[in-house]
Amino acid sequence: MKIVESLVASFCLKQEFALRRNKLYQIAYSWCHDSTLADDLVQEAMYKAIKNRSKLRELSTLDSWLYRILINCWHDYLRVSGRHVELFDVRDDRIKDHSDMYQKLQIVDRVRSSIASLPMNLREVVTLADFAGFSYAQIAEIVDVPVGTVMSRLFRARQNLKEQLLDMSNDEAIQLKLRRVK
Amino acid sequence: MDNKQYTDEKLNLFIDNELDDVEANELHEAMLQDPQIRERVCQLKAVRELVGFAYQSPPRSNYDRRVRSNSGRSMLWKGIAASLVLCLGIIVGWSTHQYGPSVIAGSTTASNVFSYYAEHAPSKNIGRNFILHLSTSDIGAVKAALDEADNLITSYKRSNTPLKIDIIANQRGIDVLRVDVSPYIDRIQKMVAENDAVTLFACERSIAKAKAREGRDIVVMPETVTNKTARELIPERLNDGWVYIKV
Repeated sequence: MKIVESLVASFCLKQEFALRRNKLYQIAYSWCHDSTLADDLVQEAMYKAIKNRSKLRELSTLDSWLYRILINCWHDYLRVSGRHVELFDVRDDRIKDHSDMYQKLQIVDRVRSSIASLPMNLREVVTLADFAGFSYAQIAEIVDVPVGTVMSRLFRARQNLKEQLLDMSNDEAIQLKLRRVK
Repeated sequence: MDNKQYTDEKLNLFIDNELDDVEANELHEAMLQDPQIRERVCQLKAVRELVGFAYQSPPRSNYDRRVRSNSGRSMLWKGIAASLVLCLGIIVGWSTHQYGPSVIAGSTTASNVFSYYAEHAPSKNIGRNFILHLSTSDIGAVKAALDEADNLITSYKRSNTPLKIDIIANQRGIDVLRVDVSPYIDRIQKMVAENDAVTLFACERSIAKAKAREGRDIVVMPETVTNKTARELIPERLNDGWVYIKV
């Protein structure tokens, strides 16, 4: 009976992993800006997660546990390859007109470039907070630093991005402004 | 209210919902009072939205490609099933639609406003149209809305980009345009007089209801268009791609 329960639990966990695969890939891509590498990182993280599934204490911590494995894979990669500064290269050979699609691509490229210019520790924190939507406590657990460090990294990352992205007076290409009335 | 009292670290905590209720409420009050604080919060939120937006569609992963190629047939059946559900949804929606959230869904939050911008970001000198929907006469909210309209006008003028703002009032919002009630008449009149871009609308139905409720004629500013309901005005603009800002 225990074997059956174990098999069912294992199957369920794999399903949970599969549901999160896309988000993991997106986050990995936000760190490395390389689709093949992001794929490899996610693949490795999934493999390690399945192999070490018995170490997962509670299902409620699955997200932070998985992302922690992913970030460890990423750090391992950086250590081995010695690449601490990545070049960011977005190739855009699509038609450069003023269609909505092109405008959208311009914005995405610009934001990604700005994020790519951040130091890696800031990049990781800001994407985990702003893209993956983790709380400060969860990020602290994933990145393995105190919550205060998460706050200061997030502050520095956003300051930097704000200067790069929202300085409208110096920007001729794209005019973006968030408006809210409430 | 001291703008400098609120550091960017604190504003970060606020937008990330990491402040306790008391501090969050204090900051919310301060935002209502001080446009500079509001602007700083908006900028941080904009950065957050931009980061979130930037990676929603990364290059497709190889894993994804393999999965898709293996599941073509099941996708066909899923597509047929989804089409049936969609048809059912359309029929049910059509038979039950009302003015309200269903009509203007998806347009009311800052993130959606941003997404709209992001997806339709203007190249230089291409105009932008806004609906400013007033459904309340709350003084703080109305002031924020008028500040917002002023900011839009100023920034679009500065960049020499055409702009159109339709201020559409309904429910209690029509009080804002009533000459015998509104504290903002002078300000709105000045805004309309100085800017061809701004047009005022008061919902015909809301005026009729207010008249029945109060037993007297409802007198709105002479510049106000009153021959249509908000139910007609808002959806037709949304269909034309206007940006919707709800107050």
